[in-house]
Amino acid sequence: MTILYDEAQEAIAVEARRVLDAQYDLQRLLDLVDVTGKHDERLWQTAVEQGWTALPVPEAHGGLGLGLLEMGLIAQSLGAVTAGAPFLTGNDAFVQLLLAGNDEASREAWLPKVAAGEAIGVAALGEGNSPLPPTPAVTFTDGRLSGAKSAIAGALQANAGIVWASSVGTPVLALVEIDDTMRRPIDSFDNARLYAGLVFDGASARVILEGDAALAAARNALARTAVVTAYEQTGGAEQAMKIARDYALERKAFGQPIAAFQSIKHRIAEIYGLVELARANCIDAAANVGTPQFVLKACAARLAASDAYDTAARDAVQIHGGIGVTWQLGLHLHMRRARSLSAELGSPLFWEGLLVSEIEAGVSA
Amino acid sequence: MIDLDTFRQQAREWTLSMVPEFGREARRGLTDEEDLALGRRYMAKKYEAGFAGVHMPEEFGGRGLTGLHKLAFDQEEMPHGFPSGYFGISLGMPIPIIMKFCEDKAWVRERVVAALKGEEIWCQLFSEPSGGSDLAGLRMKAEEDGNGWKLNGQKLWTSHAHIADYGIIVARSDPTVPKHKGLTYFWVDMHAEGVTCKPFKLLDKEVVCNEVFFDDVKLTDGQRIGPVGGGFGVAMATLMIERYVAGDADGFGPTIPFFVDFAREVEVNGRPAIEDGRIRSAIARNFALRNGLNSIRDRAFLMMEAGMEPGPEGSLSKLISVRSRQKLSELAIDLKGSEGLAYDPEATSKEDWVASWLSVPTGRIAGGADEMLLNTIAERILGLPQDHRPDKGVPFNQIPA
Repeated sequence: MTILYDEAQEAIAVEARRVLDAQYDLQRLLDLVDVTGKHDERLWQTAVEQGWTALPVPEAHGGLGLGLLEMGLIAQSLGAVTAGAPFLTGNDAFVQLLLAGNDEASREAWLPKVAAGEAIGVAALGEGNSPLPPTPAVTFTDGRLSGAKSAIAGALQANAGIVWASSVGTPVLALVEIDDTMRRPIDSFDNARLYAGLVFDGASARVILEGDAALAAARNALARTAVVTAYEQTGGAEQAMKIARDYALERKAFGQPIAAFQSIKHRIAEIYGLVELARANCIDAAANVGTPQFVLKACAARLAASDAYDTAARDAVQIHGGIGVTWQLGLHLHMRRARSLSAELGSPLFWEGLLVSEIEAGVSA
Repeated sequence: MIDLDTFRQQAREWTLSMVPEFGREARRGLTDEEDLALGRRYMAKKYEAGFAGVHMPEEFGGRGLTGLHKLAFDQEEMPHGFPSGYFGISLGMPIPIIMKFCEDKAWVRERVVAALKGEEIWCQLFSEPSGGSDLAGLRMKAEEDGNGWKLNGQKLWTSHAHIADYGIIVARSDPTVPKHKGLTYFWVDMHAEGVTCKPFKLLDKEVVCNEVFFDDVKLTDGQRIGPVGGGFGVAMATLMIERYVAGDADGFGPTIPFFVDFAREVEVNGRPAIEDGRIRSAIARNFALRNGLNSIRDRAFLMMEAGMEPGPEGSLSKLISVRSRQKLSELAIDLKGSEGLAYDPEATSKEDWVASWLSVPTGRIAGGADEMLLNTIAERILGLPQDHRPDKGVPFNQIPA
């Protein structure tokens, strides 16, 4: 795949941004922070109308069959507006796992619904603070799942999940329908992510893949989710940088715009560097999908993007001074989102370790 | 025109074939003079093989290919550590400038070919004791003298001046106008009477830089490049001319795989360093920085190939890569602990952490200090205001010293 966007890809990014800006409402997002279990339904309807739910689903199953790069560009646009509906990333992982599996019936049952925005899927891989435990504690026995999965974005509304579990010592990926008895809502500092843990007490499920193939598919889906999330983080970081820049140009102190002080302008220039490195790593990772380097590149994208967004959000608040820490300005939405996206999918501590493991295993850039 | 992939393949084969005679190993233990002589022989071979002046016009002795061909060759050449550093500035700035501005084409062709073959070296006399980043604040005096000019003053930080045959220079021809407007640009003969080079050692013991003194050095008006008073414009053109410079995501220091190999051998608290979370973190973070720079480079290359203008993010390369190299070099020395105190005068920056650490501060200052690069990003890319400049618009001779 090329690392240059073609015209269709450019158009996707521009159109996504236009649509999202048109429906942006700060107050709506601020209201979501206070309640557990509510998302921005208007944004989600927009996503469905725009066909974004259909992006990763193959045409044969009622989707558009587009690639990681297109998913990334949408995610980047969603990141810029601190979107209050977390479903596209989870859907993407769910779709990838179904496609990797060997259960055609489950694909036929779920993919058209996901594509049409009628169902929401998630990948339930992580336990504790590990996004993909080598030996999952959740077990699959006689067609039933038992055990607990840690916080998953979107799980408060999801209809189905692919669960990483152990079946008599062999790893499996199992499809489960999610109902309220399984959800353990998390009252979070970023409630619009709709976090919930999932607890299974003999829930009926069907295996779609097992053994080494299941591990490979889970790893690949996790890496892919990391890249989509990295795009979202990059979009958020870039937006926080622009907000900081615009404010620094407008706000005057000591007789000049504060942007004229090197402590401010250099800080913004440093953020620019982090944003561009994150973007470049995302593009590189998306271009390497399907190659032996993909996991390595995904790690780099995830690390660069987490660093960029955390720094941009943190520094944007600092550059604003007092107004930056007010509720009403809403800069904290970026601060919250930077942290939640960093922590929810294996923190940088995990991705650092995985990156080096890939190098140790002989993968080279 | 030969396509890029074929050309790159040829460049790869040719540079590999040069390794035994000119590579890093062949240079070990040579004196400065011997190494320079080896460098000149390498350049002659490169010229013979058609890899010199890759993107320079054929009428001046170049190969007449594109900037991308040149960049491809540089990328193939870089890993081998050939003695080509003496000629980088010479061919990078002064030679393109005389090709662009000088009217005696036969003379220019002679100079270009001699420079490509490594027979002649050019230097760039811009920085002075009173200012490096503030180029337009320079004090070197150019006075009209009969039909020509007379230079008096001092330059500083001039790389390779002591081995140079010619130089390009900016001097102040009119101190009564604001600083950017009173400058004129010339080429000079470094062997002329009144030119004195005093090479000095940098903190890593490298002898590259010079103080250069000009005492009543006479120039003809034919040595003037650009209009009288138009020197700043030509100087800016000089700094902008080299679009196709190969950056190095490793900041011209050791690579990440080199660090990983090292971390496998050395122990921390009785365990291999590679198993230590702090070391893994450093590897991963630096990998991500450098992988990002490589991706930016590859994308810029493809854009240029497609006839598009690459984005401004290409300007991040030096800022990011050299800082990464500095921190990683410090960490590597820490990893060795008291065994990291040894100093090997023969070692090079690409393969020795102490050598890399000692020479890296130069990289953060030469060719645009970090702070100037940040200013450029802030002002040109992000549209932030210029710093407060009290000397703006003031005649040079009225600026308080």
